[in-house]
Amino acid sequence: MEGSITNRIRFLRFQNGEMSQAELGQRIGVTRQTIAAIEAGKYSPSLEAAFRIAHAFNVPLDEVFQWNAKGVSSKQT
Amino acid sequence: MPYREKTAWLSLIAMAVAFGPYFAIVEASSHSRPSGASLRQLGLFAVAAVVQMAILGLGHLYLNRGSPGEARTPLDERDITIMRRSISFAYYVLIGGMILVGCVMPFNSSGWTIVNAALAMIVLAEVAHYGVVVMSYRRQA
Repeated sequence: MEGSITNRIRFLRFQNGEMSQAELGQRIGVTRQTIAAIEAGKYSPSLEAAFRIAHAFNVPLDEVFQWNAKGVSSKQT
Repeated sequence: MPYREKTAWLSLIAMAVAFGPYFAIVEASSHSRPSGASLRQLGLFAVAAVVQMAILGLGHLYLNRGSPGEARTPLDERDITIMRRSISFAYYVLIGGMILVGCVMPFNSSGWTIVNAALAMIVLAEVAHYGVVVMSYRRQA
């Protein structure tokens, strides 16, 4: 199934007192460049790193990362 | 530019500076076989190896001084992914080259030609390795 992962890291950083990429990277144990790559959607982090990011913002995982499947329309209830 | 990308560029530059002239000289003198050719080849290789080591050593000292914090930072998961990808790519380059050198070249070449071809394949694999590292960091992948 084709699709893409999007994230709200930039928004969440903004909400958390304009936390810098370097600071977030330091909290979860990756470099600033890796945070920049994740934020830009160029690199998909490991599940562990994804959970660490969510934990750093104190939100559930699906508030940070979303999966957008291509060609699958969401059901209306 | 990330520290790891800088070190990859350094390795590429060291390889080009050390082994570019080496293979140019080898190619230029491939038609004449003067006496003491083996000793000359060994000497040439030693010079190339020393030049490469010197550039790498001095380059790493310079880069470490420029960003000591980044130099001490251990590899993170993306660095490791990039490293694995580049090594895997370089492996195929190396194995292809070695099949060519070890299985095909002995039928029509001999001696230093085979040695230098093997060396060229190792250099090519290293260039592929660091090339993929640089490309991956450039594309943030």
